[in-house]
Amino acid sequence: MTKPRHFHVAGTPVPLVDGLEKVTGRARYTADLTTDDALVGRILRAPRGHARIIRIDTSRAKALEGVRAVVTGADCAQSYGVIPIAMNEYPMARDVLRYRGEPLAAVAAIDAKTAQAALDLIELTLEDLPAVYTAKEARAPDAVQLHPDKQGNLEREVHHSFGDPEAGMAKADLVRDEVFSCAEVNHAQMEPHAALADYDPERGHLTFHSVSQVPFYVHLTLARCLGMEAAQIRVVQPFIGGGFGARTETLNFEIITALLARAAGGKVMMHLTREESFLTHRGRPQTDVALKIGMTDKGKITAVKCEVVMAGGAYAGYGLVTILYAGALLHGIYDIENVKYDGYRVYTNLPPCGAMRGHGTVDVRHAFECLLDRMAHELGLDPFAVRRANLLRAPTFTPNDLMVNSYGLGACLDKVETASNWYNRKGKLPPGRGLGMACSHYVSGAAKPVHWTGEPHAVVSMKLDFDASITVLTGAADIGQGSSTIVAVAAADILSVDMSRIRVIAGDSALTPKDNGSYSSRVTFMVGNAAIEAARALRQKLVLAAAKKLESLPEDIVCEGETFSVKGSAQSMLSFQEVALAALAEEGTITVKGTFTTPIKAQGGKHRGGAVGSTMGFSYGAQVVEVTVDIATGLIRIDKVWAALDCGFAINPLAVEGQIEGSVWMGMGQALSEETRFVNGLAVHANLLDYRVPTMVESPDIEVHIVETIDPLGPFGAKEAGEGALSGFPPALVNAVADAIGLEANFLPMTPDRVLEALIKQRRAAKRKVAS
Amino acid sequence: MSANLPEFNLVKPSSIAEALAAFRDQPHAKFCAGGTDLIPNMRHGLFEVETLIDLGQIVGFDAVTINGADIELGAGISLSKLVGRADIRERFPAIVKACEKVAGLSHREAATLGGNLCLETRCLYYNQSEWWRKSNDYCLKYQGDICHVAPRGNRCRAAFCGDLAPAFMVHRAEVELVSLNGARRLPLADLYVEDGAAHLALQPGEILASVHLPAARARSTYGKICQRGAIDFPQAGVAVSCRKEAGVLQFELAFTGTNSKPILLEYREPLGPKTDADSYFEALEKQVQKSVSPQRTTTTAPHYRRLAVAALAVRLARGLV
Amino acid sequence: MKRIVSLNINGKPVEDAIADNLLLIEYLRETRRLTGTKQGCDGGECGACTVLINGRPRLACITLASTCDGAKIETIEGQGEGGRLSALQRAFHENLGTQCGFCTPGMIMASEGLLRQNPDPDDAEIKAALGGNICRCTGYVKIIKSVRAAAQQSAGAA
Ligand SMILES: Cc1cc2nc3c(=O)[nH]c(=O)nc-3n(C[C@H](O)[C@H](O)[C@H](O)COP(=O)(O)OP(=O)(O)OC[C@H]3O[C@@H](n4cnc5c(N)ncnc54)[C@H](O)[C@@H]3O)c2cc1C
Ligand code: FES
Ligand code: FES
Repeated sequence: MTKPRHFHVAGTPVPLVDGLEKVTGRARYTADLTTDDALVGRILRAPRGHARIIRIDTSRAKALEGVRAVVTGADCAQSYGVIPIAMNEYPMARDVLRYRGEPLAAVAAIDAKTAQAALDLIELTLEDLPAVYTAKEARAPDAVQLHPDKQGNLEREVHHSFGDPEAGMAKADLVRDEVFSCAEVNHAQMEPHAALADYDPERGHLTFHSVSQVPFYVHLTLARCLGMEAAQIRVVQPFIGGGFGARTETLNFEIITALLARAAGGKVMMHLTREESFLTHRGRPQTDVALKIGMTDKGKITAVKCEVVMAGGAYAGYGLVTILYAGALLHGIYDIENVKYDGYRVYTNLPPCGAMRGHGTVDVRHAFECLLDRMAHELGLDPFAVRRANLLRAPTFTPNDLMVNSYGLGACLDKVETASNWYNRKGKLPPGRGLGMACSHYVSGAAKPVHWTGEPHAVVSMKLDFDASITVLTGAADIGQGSSTIVAVAAADILSVDMSRIRVIAGDSALTPKDNGSYSSRVTFMVGNAAIEAARALRQKLVLAAAKKLESLPEDIVCEGETFSVKGSAQSMLSFQEVALAALAEEGTITVKGTFTTPIKAQGGKHRGGAVGSTMGFSYGAQVVEVTVDIATGLIRIDKVWAALDCGFAINPLAVEGQIEGSVWMGMGQALSEETRFVNGLAVHANLLDYRVPTMVESPDIEVHIVETIDPLGPFGAKEAGEGALSGFPPALVNAVADAIGLEANFLPMTPDRVLEALIKQRRAAKRKVAS
Repeated sequence: MSANLPEFNLVKPSSIAEALAAFRDQPHAKFCAGGTDLIPNMRHGLFEVETLIDLGQIVGFDAVTINGADIELGAGISLSKLVGRADIRERFPAIVKACEKVAGLSHREAATLGGNLCLETRCLYYNQSEWWRKSNDYCLKYQGDICHVAPRGNRCRAAFCGDLAPAFMVHRAEVELVSLNGARRLPLADLYVEDGAAHLALQPGEILASVHLPAARARSTYGKICQRGAIDFPQAGVAVSCRKEAGVLQFELAFTGTNSKPILLEYREPLGPKTDADSYFEALEKQVQKSVSPQRTTTTAPHYRRLAVAALAVRLARGLV
Repeated sequence: MKRIVSLNINGKPVEDAIADNLLLIEYLRETRRLTGTKQGCDGGECGACTVLINGRPRLACITLASTCDGAKIETIEGQGEGGRLSALQRAFHENLGTQCGFCTPGMIMASEGLLRQNPDPDDAEIKAALGGNICRCTGYVKIIKSVRAAAQQSAGAA
C-alpha cells in the first residue's frame, strides 16, 4: 500500500509526527522511564505556612536501612529563579519556610516504602511566624514581611502612563469604572510532575530527564544550584504530558532530584503526586483589576486607567513579568492613545504563582471586555460596534511601542458575528438564555527572552546524509502543541519532499541546538522561521549540486516533489536521492542551520519593563458564547461557542483548530469552575475532584474559524495560535450571562453558588429600589 | 516498586458465610466491594486495615430476585448492571437516574449497590493526604480530636454523599443485614446515623446482603447539585417520589450530601385538585430548606447547597405532577 | 502476602506472584512494563488509567491486581494488530484526538469499551461514556470527532 504523496504541506492538515507513539502507548513520558536500578525520591514538605526553621534533624532517616541519600536546604545554598534579577528561591527552604507544601528535605531510598519511612523519621523544629494569605493581608501596614528586601511585601510595582489619560477621560462622554476579582487557577496538565536524574560520580556527569517546557533553563539552573559546569550536564526531554506554563521555569523538585542523585551517586526517579503537582503550582495568581474606561458616545475609547493587584505566592518566579504583561497587553488590541497602568505584585504565604497560558493578560482582558460591553449597553451600542469603533490599523506601533504588523481582529469579528447569527438572535433568545462576545490577543513569542545573551532567539539544524534522509534537530520542547510537527512541515514544504523523509529529533542538549523553550507561544514563530531558514540553506546546496549535474544555472533549477530539473525541460530530471548523493560528493555529510533573531524594532519600548509584551506579531481573536442560566440553582450551561482567531497563516490547520479549541475550553474552565482554594494556607483543591477541570459532559461544541492575515515576519506568514483565544472566553461568558439574566458579575469563576448569591443580592437591591 | 497502598492481607470468600467467618478471624478487617470508594481512601491513608475482605467473588452476591412486584437486589450488583435493567428503569426511575449520575462510567462498572449505600462520609478536612491532615492536626473523624467544620461541636460533621440512598429511600426500600448473629431487615433510612464518624448502624462484621424494593407505588425522579456533568460527588442530591392516594398527591423526598446521613422527608401535606400549587410548592421549598443542614464540608457554601437543593426538589416535584 | 494470579493480558496468558496490596496500575506499569497506561491523579479522579477488564472499562489505579485473577485485561499496547492501528487509534491520530497524548491511552480504552457495546453512539452517549476521562489539551471537540470517525469507519468496514 503506497500512500499518496504530497509535498506542499504547509497549510494542509497533517497529523502529529509523534502521534503514532501517543495513540499506541509507545510514547515514553518521564514517569515511564522506569528502570530497576533507580532509587525512589520523595520530598518532605512544610506543614506550616510561615515559620523559622530552627532545626531539621535527618540523622534517624539517614540511618534507616535502604536510604541512600538525604538532602535539605543546607545542601544547596544557591538561590535560583527564572528572572535573573529575581532569584529568591531555594530548592529546599533554608532558615525560613514560606508556604505550606514548600520542600524542606528529600530522601532517595531503594523503594517507595523506605523513602516514605525515612521522611517520617525526619524531625522538624519550627517556630511559627504570622502568615499572610491574601494580597490585602500582605499589604496591611503591620503585615509580616516575607522577604527582607521587599518592604510591604511588594515584589514589583509598575507605573506606566502613555498619552494623557486625564485629558482622555475629560473628553469622554461616558466614564465607568468597576473592580473585577479573578480567582487563582492552576494548569492541571494531565501528567503529574516527574524527573529522573542519573549521576555518574566517576565522570562527574549528570543526565537529567524531566517534564520541563524549558530544558535549557533547567540545564542552566542545575549547573548553578549543583555548582557543576554545564558541560557536565545533559538534559533530555521525553514526551511531555502538557505544560500550559506550569513547567516554563525550573521547578524545585527538578533540582532536588538532581541533588539526590549526586548525593546517592546514582539514579533517582521522582514522581510527584497530583497533590504535590498542585503544590508546585506556578499558576495564574488571584488578581483584582480596578478598571476605568472613558468613551465617546460613538463608542471610541478615549482613555483607560487600570490598577492590578496580584497575590503572587511566596517567591518571585515569573512574577514581575506577569505584572508587566498585565499592563503592556492593555495595548496592541485596540487603538487607545491614553493608558495609565499601576500594577502591584504581592508576596503571600502560598505556593508561588508563575506563567499560565495567556500569561498576564487573561484577567485584565476579562475586566476590559466586560466593561466595554456594559458601556456599550449604556450607550445603546452593539457590542460588535464598540469593538469596531476602536480597531487598529496595521502596520503600526502602539503608544508603548509594541509592533503590530498584521491585524485580523476586524475579520474575526465579522466571522463570529455571522456564524453565530448575532443580529437575529442577540437579545431575542428566551429568558435564561443569552449571547455574549469578547475579543482577545496574544504575543507570538516574547521579542526579548528572559535570559538575554545576544544569541539568535532560535536555531534549527538539519542533517542530510547518504540515505537521503533529513534529520531536523531542534531544542524546542514539544509539549503536545505539535512543535515538532511544525518543524517537519516547514522542512518538507521548503524542500518539497515527502514528510516521511524527515525525522525530527527534539530536546536533547547533547544533540540538539539550544532552544529557549516552549512558552509565550514563541515556538511556531521563532523555531518555525529558523527551520525555514535551515531548509532554505539545504535546498540551496541541493540546487547547486543539481545545477552542476544538469550543467545548468542554479537559478534555472526547479526543485519540486523530490525531483530536480531545469526550467522548461523536464526530460533530464534528477531524483532527490541522486541530487543528495551528488551534493554529498562535494562535502560529505551535509549539516546546515537556520536561525531567527527578532528585529530590534520589535523589542518594545525604552521605558522600564518595556520589553515585556513586545513581540513580532499578535494573534487576534473574537468569540461568541451562548449560555443557558438556571436561576434556581445558579448553574450555567454553555450551549455553543464560535471562535475566530487570526493566526497569520495556519501552517497546520488541524493543529491550529486543536489549539483554539483547547484554549477556548481552558478559558471556559477558568470562567466556570476552576479555582484554587486554601484553608489557612493549606490547599484544599489539590486533587482532580475539588479542582474542577470540566469534563466532556458539560463541554460545548466549539466552532472554529481561522483568519489568515499573512504576517510579514511570520513563518509562511504564521503567528501564534495556542493562547490568544483563551482570554476571550471568560468575558464573553460573563457578557452572555448578563444578556441571559441581567446579572453583571464582577467575579471569576462563575460558580453556581456565586451566581446564586449575586442574584439574591441583585433582587434585594431591586426591592430596596422599589421601596425607596 | 511504588507503594500506593499500605500492606494488608486480602481474603476472597466465595460466600457470605465465609466472609463473615473471615471477619471473625480478623476483627481489624474491612469489606471491599467495588473498591471505588475504599481504595482511593486507602491511598490517602484514611484508615488502617490488616485484612481486606473482597466481597467481589461471592457467588450470587449480585443476584436479582423477582417476587411478584417486589424486587430483591443483591448488594453486589454493579451500578452499570442496575442502569441496564429495564424493570428498574421503568418502575423505579429515581434509582436509575441516581446511578447514572454516580462518578464516571468506569467507576460504575466496578461500583456496587452495597458499597454506595455504605459509602464513607466525606469532608474537606478528611479526604486529603496524610501530609495534609497531619499539617492540619488531623480531625475528629480520624486520628484527631476536633471537627474543623464545627470546632465547637462534639461530633464529626462529614457528609454522606452517596447518590443511591435517597432514591431507594423514597421507594421505601429495606436492607437485609447479615452477621454471625443472624440476619435482620431494616428500612433503609434506619441504616444511617447522624454522625460523620460512625454513620452506619452496622454492627462490626455485619454485611449489607441485599436490598428489598417493594412494589413501586410512586413515580420518582432524582436530581443532583454538582457543577460538572460527571465525576463530582453531590453537593446535595434529592430524590422525589409522588404517589396518588385518595385523589390527592403525596410527596416523599430524600436528600444526600447535606447531612452526615441521608435525610428522609415524608411530606404530609397533600396536593389536591383544589390546592393552590404555587403556594403548596413554596411551602414545600421552605420545608426542604428547614429539613437539611449542610455544613462547610465542601468548598461550596452550605447556604447555597440548602437553597439549591430546595429549588431542585421543588422543580423535580412539579415535574412529577 | 503474595499469591499466584493468572491473567490474560492483551491476549497473552500470564501467571505472576502478586502482592495483595498491589494495584493493577502498578502491576501493569512496573511488573509488566506496560507503561502505556497512565497515572494522572492520586486515585480514581481522571480516567488516565482506564483499561478493559473482561471487556469493560475500569480504572487500574483503584483496582487491586489480585482481584483480577482469571480476568482478561486489555491495555493500549494490545490495540491494533500486526503493528497496524486499531480503528480508534487511527481515528485519534488522524483527527488530532490527541495532543500531548497523556490522556490518550485511557481515552482510547474507554472509547473501545463504548464502541463494543454501542457501535454507533451519538454525541450524548459518547459524553456519558467518557465523562470520567479528563483531557486538558483538546477541549474534547476532536476526541468526540475521533470516536465518531472510528465508529463510522468500523461500520463501513463491517
Ligand atoms: C472520583 C470519584 C467520584 C465519585 N463520585 C461519586 C458520586 O458522584 N456519587 C456517589 O454516590 N459516589 C461516588 N463515588 C464513590 C463510589 O465510586 C461509589 O459510591 C460506589 O458506588 C461505591 O461502591 P463500591 O462497591 O465501589 O464501594 P467500596 O469502595 O467497595 O466500599 C465502600 C464502603 O462500603 C463498605 N461496603 C461495601 N460493600 C458493603 C457491604 N455489602 N456491606 C457492608 N459494607 C460494605 C466498604 O467497607 C467501604 O467502607 C466516587 C468515587 C470516586 C473515586
Ligand atoms: S489515574 Fe486518575 S483515575 Fe486512575
Ligand atoms: S491530549 Fe493532553 S491531556 Fe488529553
